[in-house]
Amino acid sequence: MGAAAHIARPDAATRLRAAQEVRARQRRRTRLFLLAPALGIIGIFGLFPLSIALVYSFLEPGTYGGVEWVFSYDAYVQFLFERDIFDDTLSFNSAYLQIFGRSFGLAITTMIGTLILGFPVAYFIAARPPEQRNFWLFAITLPFWTNLLIRTYSMLLIVRDEGFVNLMLMKLGLISEPLEMLYTDGAVLAGLVYSYLPFMILPIYASLEKFDFSLLEAGHDLYATRTQVFRHIIIPITRPGIVAGCVLVLIPALGAYITPELLGGGKKLMIGNLIALQFGSGRNWPFGAAAALILMAVVLIALLVSLRAGASKEGGHG
Amino acid sequence: MIDVKNVTKRFGEGQAAVTALGDVSLTIPEGSFFTLLGPSGCGKTTLLRLIAGFELPTEGEIALDGESIGHLAPNNRPVNTVFQNYALFPHMSVARNVGFGLEMLKRPKAEIDSTINEMLDLVQLGEFATRRVDQLSGGQQQRVALARALAPRPKVLLLDEPLSALDLKLRKGMQSELKRLQHETGITFVFVTHDQGEALAMSDQIAVMSAGAIRQVGTPEEIYTAPQSRFVADFIGDTNIVNATLLGFDGDAAKIKFGEGTPLTVHAASTSLSPGPVHVALRPETIHVVDERAETALLRGEVVDSTYFGAGSQMLVRLEDGVSVHVQVSTPRPVGSRVGLECDTSMLHVLED
Ligand SMILES: Nc1ncnc2c1ncn2[C@@H]1O[C@H](COP(=O)(O)OP(=O)(O)OP(=O)(O)O)[C@@H](O)[C@H]1O
Ligand SMILES: [Mg+2]
Repeated sequence: MGAAAHIARPDAATRLRAAQEVRARQRRRTRLFLLAPALGIIGIFGLFPLSIALVYSFLEPGTYGGVEWVFSYDAYVQFLFERDIFDDTLSFNSAYLQIFGRSFGLAITTMIGTLILGFPVAYFIAARPPEQRNFWLFAITLPFWTNLLIRTYSMLLIVRDEGFVNLMLMKLGLISEPLEMLYTDGAVLAGLVYSYLPFMILPIYASLEKFDFSLLEAGHDLYATRTQVFRHIIIPITRPGIVAGCVLVLIPALGAYITPELLGGGKKLMIGNLIALQFGSGRNWPFGAAAALILMAVVLIALLVSLRAGASKEGGHG
Repeated sequence: MIDVKNVTKRFGEGQAAVTALGDVSLTIPEGSFFTLLGPSGCGKTTLLRLIAGFELPTEGEIALDGESIGHLAPNNRPVNTVFQNYALFPHMSVARNVGFGLEMLKRPKAEIDSTINEMLDLVQLGEFATRRVDQLSGGQQQRVALARALAPRPKVLLLDEPLSALDLKLRKGMQSELKRLQHETGITFVFVTHDQGEALAMSDQIAVMSAGAIRQVGTPEEIYTAPQSRFVADFIGDTNIVNATLLGFDGDAAKIKFGEGTPLTVHAASTSLSPGPVHVALRPETIHVVDERAETALLRGEVVDSTYFGAGSQMLVRLEDGVSVHVQVSTPRPVGSRVGLECDTSMLHVLED
């Protein structure tokens, strides 16, 4: 062994270089192993269907659903214009834009609602002693144990004319006629806020959990009132959690399908219902695909713009 | 001037209540460097937090320049704190951290900017103004915390063990820097530490605390040379505490004897002590080692250990009654030899228990 060490010594540098290469290779391989399963799933179930949607959106609808393999960008034109059946002239049609507008309005209201309700809850949990926090987190995630459909149906039972809320109010003599709550925008909003609240609470909690509460004392010590401490210290430091929560609520709320269908009675179309309709009774697959892609593009652009704005604001501080 | 009058602070209620401070009274002179010194858990931080306003006293009153402030919120007191963990705002630049207090006080922008520059110059961090605070070293963060707390020109600056996270060399540097800042600004500094060396080196006055009470207040010299109680003598450095018998008083002076030795006249912390066994403080540097049979020897014992520390040696001598005494000498006697200990009786000091 002594002899081997003696022989090896002259090319220690070479051996070190070889070892460094092995390490680097191992690191690359580990990275690949960690990412491969997720990349595979995203590829097969995400990118592949998305490509199909992209292709379909540039084809013509088949008479009984499906597509005709003829190139056409009609689906996109249809989104903004109405084609006259007789002379093929185009006239502006805002019906679909209105659906988009309504969906965005509802999703943004949902986001603001969950933020207003969720932030204090997240703060409350983060301010508990560590051993109590898991209990509260468990309580927050409890609704997930039941299927969304069932939870939405149960809300339906509560807010309908003969439902719990109306019964109570009438018993108390506050109203004589049942309030019409089911199939209103308010019911849809309440349903969405209820469904997406945990998606707002959890990321905000994650950023508050690391929050150093002695910064609050430092703020008060330096003459900040409670409101100023909230504005100048808590909000900026937890901004990443707030942004994550908003994104996690806004995007699924935009495409929400079950809640507007059940609690809104499908009376007013939302993007999700519009898209679903095209693949069902509407029998216009290209238009459904195009609407889905337009939604995606709008969301992506909105995200990029808001991230850019957030980033430049951070920079302004430094 | 801060007046703490009969302040009691209890945490919790009923059975589980902890009394962090029990009926504490204290006067902190204006413009002084005042140190709260005491072992862990004695209530130093609690007293500081009461002055800052993070906690309200259970009982008692706190007054600043004659005005009661004990009930005010922290943001309504002209008092700023340098936190032990610095508590700098991580999302702000160094400059904005320093200007935060003035920003909250809604001072004009020009004033804020000029104060920021002035403060950063004061703590020698001028070129770091635009840095993020997490890009600074511990010592630099410490100085940002100081500048931030000084910028609004508070009447009182509270510092809770601000140097404990720094390494020895940096700590020495910051000690003199703190002294300089206190001198230049004339602001009253209330400084918390459990390091007696630090307290002696920096303070105009020291309050020694233990178990939620103040044991002695005085200048570093008074605390060092004339500790009143066994606790204070023990806590301040490496004082020897030996047994003696109190014979009585002659005016303010106490008459004592060591063992069966001749009576001596020495200082006493209090004239209310009753004759009998007492403890006497004996500083290592005032002791001379002499021959065992020397007439002048007050105490006798055997050398049991000797440690070289560069400038000299420290010998451990076990007295006849079993108490061990530290002695500083230039040439140590061999371990096992018997020696006599002689000392200046004016440096002896009878302690309260
Ligand atoms: N918020 C609190 N709740 C309950 N007990 C407390 C609280 N804060 C302090 N105490 C208790 O009060 C006593 C004094 O605490 P304090 O923090 O003032 O000590 P300290 O002198 O600053 O000690 P250290 O040198 O370790 O910082 C301790 O017994 C402590 O356990
Ligand atoms: Mg403390």
